[in-house]
Amino acid sequence: MMMTLIRREILDNLMTFRFAAAVFIMLLLVVANTAVLIQDYERRLAGHNTAVKMHQRQLHEKKTYSAGMEKLLVDRPPNPLSILNAGFDKRLGNEVLASHGYVPSLWDANMHGSDNPFMDMFASMNIVFILEVVLSLLALIFAYDAFAGEYENGTLRLVLTHPIGRGYILFAKYIGAMLCLIVPLLISLLLAVILLMMSTSISLSTDDFLRIGGIIFASIAYLSVFYLIGLLISAATRRTSTALMLSMFVWGFLVLVYPNVILAMITRPDAWQAHTASTFNKIEQIWEEFDRERKHLLATDDFPGEDWGFELRGWGSRYAYLWGNPRSLLYTYESVMEFHGFGEKDEHKMPHAQNHFRFLGSEVISTADRTWLIRKPALENIYIQPANVKRTWLKLSPVGLYDATTQALAGTDLRGIRDFFDTARQYRQQVVDYLYDKEAFGSRQWFSSDKEAADWSGLSQFSFQRVNAITNAKRALPDVSLLLTINIALFILIFLIFVKSEV
Amino acid sequence: MIWHITKREIYDNLNSLRFALTTGLLIALMATNAVRHLREHPKRVQKYHDAVAASVNLMNSHANDSLYKLAQQGPGKLYKKPSPLHFCTEGGDPLLPDRVEGGSPFQYAEHLTGVWKLEYPDANINMKNVGPDVSQVDWAFIIGYVLSLIALLFTFDALSAERERGTLRLMLANSIPRHTVLISKYLGALISINIPFILAVLLNLLIISTASSVHLNTAAWGRLGIIFLIALLYTSLFLALGLLVSARAQQSAVSLVILLLMWVALVIFMPSTFASIASSSSSSMSPDEFLKHRRLLYDKLSDEYHDQLWSGELDEKTLTGKSEFFIKHAEGRERLNQEFLAQQITQVQHARSISRVSPATLLQHLLESFAGTGFERHLQFLENVKTYARQLRQFVVDTDRADPQSLHIIGVREGMTKRKILPKAIPKFEDTFSFSKDLNTRAIELLLLALFVVALLAGAYLAFVRVEI
Repeated sequence: MMMTLIRREILDNLMTFRFAAAVFIMLLLVVANTAVLIQDYERRLAGHNTAVKMHQRQLHEKKTYSAGMEKLLVDRPPNPLSILNAGFDKRLGNEVLASHGYVPSLWDANMHGSDNPFMDMFASMNIVFILEVVLSLLALIFAYDAFAGEYENGTLRLVLTHPIGRGYILFAKYIGAMLCLIVPLLISLLLAVILLMMSTSISLSTDDFLRIGGIIFASIAYLSVFYLIGLLISAATRRTSTALMLSMFVWGFLVLVYPNVILAMITRPDAWQAHTASTFNKIEQIWEEFDRERKHLLATDDFPGEDWGFELRGWGSRYAYLWGNPRSLLYTYESVMEFHGFGEKDEHKMPHAQNHFRFLGSEVISTADRTWLIRKPALENIYIQPANVKRTWLKLSPVGLYDATTQALAGTDLRGIRDFFDTARQYRQQVVDYLYDKEAFGSRQWFSSDKEAADWSGLSQFSFQRVNAITNAKRALPDVSLLLTINIALFILIFLIFVKSEV
Repeated sequence: MIWHITKREIYDNLNSLRFALTTGLLIALMATNAVRHLREHPKRVQKYHDAVAASVNLMNSHANDSLYKLAQQGPGKLYKKPSPLHFCTEGGDPLLPDRVEGGSPFQYAEHLTGVWKLEYPDANINMKNVGPDVSQVDWAFIIGYVLSLIALLFTFDALSAERERGTLRLMLANSIPRHTVLISKYLGALISINIPFILAVLLNLLIISTASSVHLNTAAWGRLGIIFLIALLYTSLFLALGLLVSARAQQSAVSLVILLLMWVALVIFMPSTFASIASSSSSSMSPDEFLKHRRLLYDKLSDEYHDQLWSGELDEKTLTGKSEFFIKHAEGRERLNQEFLAQQITQVQHARSISRVSPATLLQHLLESFAGTGFERHLQFLENVKTYARQLRQFVVDTDRADPQSLHIIGVREGMTKRKILPKAIPKFEDTFSFSKDLNTRAIELLLLALFVVALLAGAYLAFVRVEI
């Protein structure tokens, strides 16, 4: 009996115009946009590769260690799954300096590449966004007349004359319609994946396929939520025209209106400005203390004076200053020296200069590490927490929930991007270890290349690996379970309404 | 007869569920928009005034020093004036730079400084924004997305439902021509949609104009009127589309499915898909190339003027050489900046014109140009800055020429007048938004929108006349 009911539902849905339209529009939008997005990804990848090569070359061109410090840029590769859900992949910075002078964070990153920044005015597109809009609409179109239509035709009464529980009928309807709705979803996503695999620049790993599988699962859960919302309206209103209007307005509210309105309503409390200022002040004091120690060392030296470079008058350039950015709470001491020769009379100052720079090197590193301990929680407090509040509010709509889930699975959510900066911080530690190993700070190559040039060959190259699919799944788990919970709750609600209703 | 059927349509609609839902939704959206505008706009205006005052003060202090200092340091930062109609459409304004920097003379050595030039800051990509990124609730959103969807919901069953119920046959049995039915259906739907829309707009404007901090002048009210008419035209477009599909479709359900999918394609996907196609087709000069050109320019000029530039002599030949070098270098760099910017702008304009196929983009563009926000407005601001830069340079030359004792060599202290200049005499930068400037592009967009409406209405008429009931 159950099978008969399901078969009937499937046939009913398959033969309709809306099914054909659903398949057509999904294929059209997903395939066309995938092609455009793959091109976009290839361009970004090419930009990344050029940047990596350029940074590598620039570093190796530097003949002194201190000059190399301002060219130690590491790059974030574009995520191939950003085609499915772009998230933060295109929006946040993709190159950051990993020098010994400060601990790199998301807020110090820049955007490389020759892209036209004005083009960001146009809304960006990705596959999940298409699914968000189209799937929800299709689900409601399939659901609005499921019960209301049968009430009106009287066929529901006919079905109930058979000895069959109402729960079975509900279940059969749900399964039948979902099977039909999954068809356009799967076809279009499969085509998108085939297009991805055909592109020569994209190589998908096993983990990527697992992630894509997760995204498909989340899409089905999302589809089901909207189908159940439609079913609920249909069961509650009993008239197709009313059910249709309500469904459309609910869709407009959940997909279009709610995400925009809720973000317009939330404002950041004004306290963050004071918090930023006070933290920056603290950080500034730490560095000023560092500066005092530096000056103290200079004053007690055999060549007393203010000049940090011991008035070395060689051929080449030098500069040094303390600088900060109050908005991103960055403060550091930067000094770059590129001498390639000295006069005879400077030679006796060399040991003193080396001694000074050895002291400075370790002092800068430890001060930077100490600053990071203050900076990290402050940045968390000022930037991440308000953003998380907004994200939580967005999750009240299934659209936001689905978006968050797929971002987490694709690895383009904030955590995915921050993984890169964690790796960049580890790389900075490697750089520091390398510099200590080479005794770079106290060496002559720190500031001059007249005897010997700096040696970069032993420094390992930076590489960033995305976390594995299991971690992605773990990150997506709370949102997925919430999506599933909503499904179950809606199903129970519909069952209760349907059981109690008179036919 | 038209009026009779129209009235019936309106009564039908007024009692329907969709009317109630529409009213609630539009009022809520418009109120949100107004409240947000009241909260944000005074801050924006305050920021603008503070910034302008600071940069004018700086310029006056340079002018107080000497004309030479003014010729060297220039006007400083020039800011774009925020539009009072910001609530109509934001138009990507947070992304566009709000200023042009007319200062930062090149420092060749400690006592050797060039003259000012215009520098164009990059678009502000907010790379520190870790929050979710969603569009604003402005009029463009409310009209473009929500109102168009509502227009379809009001018309999808206009003809098909009557055919299903058989009332259409009844109506046509009376000697009513078909076009009368169509026109009255159209008018009925237009009026019924506009009742909640006008209510919401009035509420929005009421909230905005009661606040003393936000002031709308007569011109602004006039522009709001035009924006309202554009909204009317845009809604008509979707009403006509709804009637067209409704006339052909056998069932209302089919009609709705077609309409919704068309709406999704036209309003949501076409603008961004076409823009991304445009961005991949043409590429602008890369920043590396730009920097290379800049280096070449410097190398060429410093070779040419090497002797005069590094000489400490004060004779007229050296001074003239220095002055020529400064001015040529500044002009060259300014020209390069402008070329680089022009390439980026061309790419954006290309993308904008391609995405015009979608009526939603047309609406966005029209609203931007009448509200004085967005890209076209930004171009106008850049044009204003250019004019002002010319004016200021001319002022320096003229003031210098008025003093017979001066050597008339601009850009070097010894070659320019020592007379005091009055801060009042210096031209001030006035960022005016002129409405009639590029009426041409606007007229094209308006005509395109009107053309869509007429074509769809004609299509609906043809479809309805030929269909069998």
